[in-house]
Amino acid sequence: MPERPLIRICYVEDDEDIQRIVRLSLERVGKMTVEVVGDPTAAVDAMLKFKPDLVMLDWMMPVLDGPALFRVMKGRPETSGLPVVFITAKAGQRDMDELLAMGAAGTISKPFSPKDLPDQLRAIWAKLP
Amino acid sequence: MIQSTATAAEVRDRADPGKVLADRVAELYRQLPIAITATFLAACIATYELRAPLFESLLWIWWGIVVIFSAVAIGLIWSYHRSADRQTGAERWLNRIGILAFANGAAWGLAGAVFFPSLSGEEHVFLAFLFAGMTSLGIPIYAVSWRIFAAYAAGIVAPFIFALAQTGKQLYIEVAFLAPVFYAVNVAIAYRLTQVFEAGYRLRHAYGRLTEDYSVLNQRLQGQLVELGEARRQVEASGRKLTLFAERSPIVVIELTPEGSVTQVNHAAEILFGYAADELKGASVKRLVRPEYHADFDRQWAEMVSTRQPATGLRIRTPRRDGIDLVCEWTVTPLVNTEGGLIAVIAQGRDITAQLEADRMKKEFTSTLSHELRTPLTSIIGSLQLVNSGVLGDIDKDVADLTQVAERNGQRLLDLINDILDIEKIESGKLTLAPEAIRIDEMVRESMVLNKGFADRFKVRLELSGADAGHSVNADRKRLLQVMTNLLSNAAKFSPEGGAVEVAISEAGANLRIAVHDRGPGIPESFRSRMFGRFTQADSATTRQKGGTGLGLAICKRLIEMMEGHIGFEDRAGGGSTFWFELPRHKA
Repeated sequence: MPERPLIRICYVEDDEDIQRIVRLSLERVGKMTVEVVGDPTAAVDAMLKFKPDLVMLDWMMPVLDGPALFRVMKGRPETSGLPVVFITAKAGQRDMDELLAMGAAGTISKPFSPKDLPDQLRAIWAKLP
Repeated sequence: MIQSTATAAEVRDRADPGKVLADRVAELYRQLPIAITATFLAACIATYELRAPLFESLLWIWWGIVVIFSAVAIGLIWSYHRSADRQTGAERWLNRIGILAFANGAAWGLAGAVFFPSLSGEEHVFLAFLFAGMTSLGIPIYAVSWRIFAAYAAGIVAPFIFALAQTGKQLYIEVAFLAPVFYAVNVAIAYRLTQVFEAGYRLRHAYGRLTEDYSVLNQRLQGQLVELGEARRQVEASGRKLTLFAERSPIVVIELTPEGSVTQVNHAAEILFGYAADELKGASVKRLVRPEYHADFDRQWAEMVSTRQPATGLRIRTPRRDGIDLVCEWTVTPLVNTEGGLIAVIAQGRDITAQLEADRMKKEFTSTLSHELRTPLTSIIGSLQLVNSGVLGDIDKDVADLTQVAERNGQRLLDLINDILDIEKIESGKLTLAPEAIRIDEMVRESMVLNKGFADRFKVRLELSGADAGHSVNADRKRLLQVMTNLLSNAAKFSPEGGAVEVAISEAGANLRIAVHDRGPGIPESFRSRMFGRFTQADSATTRQKGGTGLGLAICKRLIEMMEGHIGFEDRAGGGSTFWFELPRHKA
């Protein structure tokens, strides 16, 4: 478990409505600092600037989807160590297992509850080495 | 069986020896009246010629013997013709006639020996002449058995030789020495005749038997011809039936050579592929396979030809004559003859293009339901939850009521989508379970914690009784919690306010039983049979008031059955219902 608390979240998501809900949930309920990125191709640059504690990725995105972006992050030394949580509507257990096998820190399935989202993230954070 | 090259000797050997003997004996009995007549006539002549020198009394005795012989002989003929064992007892009848013949000969010979000394020289010549004649007469009569002739002649000749030798005259003694030679020559002739007779009888029987064999064969052949004709008619009839089946079948039927060229196609094939039968016949069936799959086709064809095993469910993409692709599912059956040789291959195909398209559309629809509907719902429910949670600040009570209605109904819509997806997955066999050993009491407690919030809404308590520590079941944790959630939420929904839902764990033989008891209104009689059906709720008004999709119990039943358990319900004593399920206990 990391010593510092979970504060800075970078969220990559193309759907503006969900962006808004997640931002409100994390900021208001979770008292966290959130950087939302709508364009996945600009995500790595945003991360370098924002220096998040944890990254949340949507699975289904145009141009560069979540798993592809994850691979890009793994290829960059500055981002390869960041814990990544996927938010996905693909409810299949097999998809979840696949993501974890790729090195994801955790998965949260859509639809999620904004009331519980910060706690879910903290639970994943607590399990990190 | 019967060869036309058989020699006469071989044919003769086929005669039944018993029957040949019986024939010979019958011939002897046919000749016997001649012997009687000859004896009688000779006796008359001898009496006439020799009446003077003979003693009256001796003559009478001799005549007595002749009469007795004749009577015995006639009696023998009579009983022979009346007897039933002429065939089987031929040997016995032969012996009887042999004794009679010897007695006849001996009567002559002994009489000659007795009378001889008292006769003159001329009379001796007469007697010798008579005896020689009687002996020779025996040959035609007894020729079918040389032994009988030999006995008969010995009976005549032996006493006569004795009488000749007794005279002491040189001429008579010389005659006595010649008589055995005469006897031997006669026996030799009789022997030869016997052989000829025997051969004749044997031939007659053998040919009789051949004729018999041929007629039996003929009859059998006739029978077989009739059977063959009948069989041919049946084969023709079933052939016509088979042709009709193939011709009128809505399924494509193609007959192929082992090399894969078409020999026969039915009407359905012509219509489906757009080729006339004559265009397909003689050409390779690969015309009906898209060129990029030719390599696959060749490999599967070679395998089928080498193993001679029928194949089913082969899907082949076929270009129709107009260029449109079809997918057919084929059943391919190699026809193998009794020697194991491949004669032909029958291929039966069904057009599944439309079915595949329907499957694809269903899959697409499911995927749409899963993603496209859930994404906006995530936003709707998420927004409402945030508003209703109060973290954004207090709102007007009327507004709060409405946003709660919106959230609840959004949640219902999401539940419905999830349930439909579950049912679809289960029924299409795509749901895979991840069974593990689960402590049943822990699982039940967890489900009660998860559903406490829901029960609170209905002001209902969840209580656990008879928690039996330590027992495990082999089940999928997530899906088992889903079942528990369904049963607990149902029970909470229908319980009276302030009531309790009791959960009990008990052992039931090799199973563990989890029962959820409520004090609700119970289940109407008319609804019981449809309890675990799809989209069923006893009262549609409750759907509006309390939520629920009507799919919950249907999903529970299928999930529990997939986990090798069973599920049911019963009335609870004192009012209310009990829903229960049983799962096989985990064997450590």
